[in-house]
Amino acid sequence: MDAQLKRGFLDVCVLAAIQDGDSYGYQIIKDMKPYLELSESTLYTILKRLETAGLLTVRTAEHNGRLRKYYSITGPGLARITEFKEEWREMLTLYRFIAREEEPRG
Amino acid sequence: MDRETFLSELRDRLAGLSPEDREERLTFYREMIDDRMEDGLSETEAVAGIGSVDDVVAQIAAETPLMRLVKERVRPKKSRKAWEIVLLALGSPVWFPLLIAAFAVLLALYLVLWAVVLSLWAAALSLAVGAVGCLPLAVLYFVRGLPAGGCFILGAGLVLAGLAIPLGAGCAGLTKGLARLTGRLLLGLKTRFVRKEAAV
Repeated sequence: MDAQLKRGFLDVCVLAAIQDGDSYGYQIIKDMKPYLELSESTLYTILKRLETAGLLTVRTAEHNGRLRKYYSITGPGLARITEFKEEWREMLTLYRFIAREEEPRG
Repeated sequence: MDRETFLSELRDRLAGLSPEDREERLTFYREMIDDRMEDGLSETEAVAGIGSVDDVVAQIAAETPLMRLVKERVRPKKSRKAWEIVLLALGSPVWFPLLIAAFAVLLALYLVLWAVVLSLWAAALSLAVGAVGCLPLAVLYFVRGLPAGGCFILGAGLVLAGLAIPLGAGCAGLTKGLARLTGRLLLGLKTRFVRKEAAV
């Protein structure tokens, strides 16, 4: 898959992983595991990028006597998910057109 | 490998990153290992789940823009002594052009590689055009009632096509190989910047 396209996909995947409530790194990886094997380094880069873009915020909280970082989605983050879904609805329409052409006619 | 060994090895190998960036990443990996252990894995299993230090370093190199790594490397870690600055400034008419020249030579070598591939493509294309061109010409000869000439031109066209096809396939392979080499060179360069031995 095109690298740029994949990056956009992964960003929205991570946003979707925190859209129902705050989450932390390992939980995000576990939630995505059935769909995608995400490495820690990749996740770190994505989280950093999303934070810089203001699509999520980070807070540090104590957990079992150590510190853990929690990520919360922001308004622009939720808007990004909505925007992504709309874009892909259009894409799917086009996909159906393309796939239909592949089927034998008649 | 236990957690502390993993993290300290990673810290050494990431000496090329800025201290803030490095510590933030290490905190992230520490949290990941702790969470895995809390999930029921042993310390060794939790560390192994992250991957080898080599893999992690390679991935970080691949995901960090080259310019940031270069900037971090160029930035002096501690203030230079006065005589060093004087020497650098006085020597600049010498080392600066040399540095530019060395860079230009490397760039030229790289461009020459692409130029060779481009010229081979041009040769393949001209052979292909020749082959295609022979076809209507041969038809013309046949129509005019010159079958011998027509056969000759048709044969010539087939020879050209026979040369153009393998040459074109070779060019495609060469282009792909060179593109792959470029990617690998870039990654190697970046890995070098990230790795920067702790002793430097």
